[in-house]
Amino acid sequence: MVHTFRCLGRYFALDVESGSLFEVDELTANLIEKRSPLATAKGDFSRYNDAEIAEAESEIDELIRRGVLFAPEPVHPEPVYKGVVKALCLNIAHGCNLRCRYCFAGDGQYHGDLDFMSTETAKNAIDFLISKSGGRKRLEVDFFGGEPLLNMKTVRATIDYARKVEKEAGKEFRFTITTNASLLTDELIDYFNREMYNVVLSIDGRKEVHDYMRPDASGKGSFDKSLENSLRLVRSRVGKSYYVRGTFTAHNLDFAKDVLALNDYGFGQVSMEPVVLPDGDPLAIRAEHLEELKWQYELLAKEYIARRAAGKEFGFFHFNIDIYNGPCASKRLVGCNAGDEYLAIAPNGNIYPCHRFDGIEEYVIGNVNDGTFDNSLPTLFATTNLTKKEECNGCWAKYYCSGGCAANSIQICGGIKKAYKVGCELMRKRVECALAIGAIESEGREGERSE
Amino acid sequence: MKHVKVIATETICNEKGTGCGECQTGCQSACKTSCTVGNQSCEQKKTNRTTKVKQD
Repeated sequence: MVHTFRCLGRYFALDVESGSLFEVDELTANLIEKRSPLATAKGDFSRYNDAEIAEAESEIDELIRRGVLFAPEPVHPEPVYKGVVKALCLNIAHGCNLRCRYCFAGDGQYHGDLDFMSTETAKNAIDFLISKSGGRKRLEVDFFGGEPLLNMKTVRATIDYARKVEKEAGKEFRFTITTNASLLTDELIDYFNREMYNVVLSIDGRKEVHDYMRPDASGKGSFDKSLENSLRLVRSRVGKSYYVRGTFTAHNLDFAKDVLALNDYGFGQVSMEPVVLPDGDPLAIRAEHLEELKWQYELLAKEYIARRAAGKEFGFFHFNIDIYNGPCASKRLVGCNAGDEYLAIAPNGNIYPCHRFDGIEEYVIGNVNDGTFDNSLPTLFATTNLTKKEECNGCWAKYYCSGGCAANSIQICGGIKKAYKVGCELMRKRVECALAIGAIESEGREGERSE
Repeated sequence: MKHVKVIATETICNEKGTGCGECQTGCQSACKTSCTVGNQSCEQKKTNRTTKVKQD
């Protein structure tokens, strides 16, 4: 399968199975498209002479001969459940000091009572992770909520315990914390810079957007505090990983302005995610929004290239695709590995396929406090990889999204094999932009890549 | 080539030795809602994986 596309005023061709990427002229893009078994239109070549067409056809034939265009799909191994866990999301607090309008977790309480994870449960979670990690050396723990800063006692106890046992267990823990930053102090910033491999700071972009979407419990906007604290953290982080992460909704379809605003505030590493809500929610992204949103990604890509070319630090999570040396094929078939190698733990110790399932009774896998663990759901998630999702198999972007988010498929579309189509459209546009950016930014750097 | 500029070839590594599982899980980074694996980095790429670029 080959995907031809136009982005940023240029034409590209992506060979899906080999991952090969080409910039082509319009004639060649149309000729490649014409050869696709799925092509319906055969193209209008009346403005080209026969010699030009023959020359382009010959170049296409050469790429096919080299196996980098229309490469056949390899036979992927049948997915099996191995029972290995390497990453946990610890929902350290079912509670939050903010009242974000789009919160999937219902004001951070996951549709239940206010609850905080005890240090004992957190230690049991670390023991559970080590015992399930098999030969994996690097283990990941994400402190999530709700707002995890409401329960720093357990965060600190978890890290102390993990650091105490990791060497003997032959493991290396990497911690991430996701916070709204409104409660950050200088002491916490120092602590995070020492202990957190990654920090994710939630800010939605422009002040007016953020304050409307992310008020505190009294209804007051949280922007000023979150921005001030986040900037203090980022300025002191010096080379360590962080992301400022926002959510856009139907309320701010011009979200490119929010991404650029975050960069203008002084954040070099930015992510901005489309909200996922049921279609009836007034903030939900719906099919009629897609054309505007795709245009926004293109606008963002153009400015992204310009700022980076001018020497400004600007990373955008979804544009950050390594076009030369991304993940291996095995990784591309399994995605985030939710329900299999990646699980979430609720404050009461319940184990879920991921944070998005927390609080849904039928998705309880077991509990780290009583040692129960039922393989049924992990087996289902592990064996439903990309190759088992029929709607994804014909999609050119399949090796970049790996079949998408299982929670979106189940909770929005009603089945783990179903595709969340609004998300698919946005994913495809983001990948097109990322590939185009990669190609454009590679110009003049050909000699640098000799690894 | 006049009509085609090769940017990168054979970037999806199917070779023996991949699938070690040491890379970051997608959801541990910044997405949390839209799994993007294409932008995860390979923990082995500086050791035993090779890159094929600009063969023209």
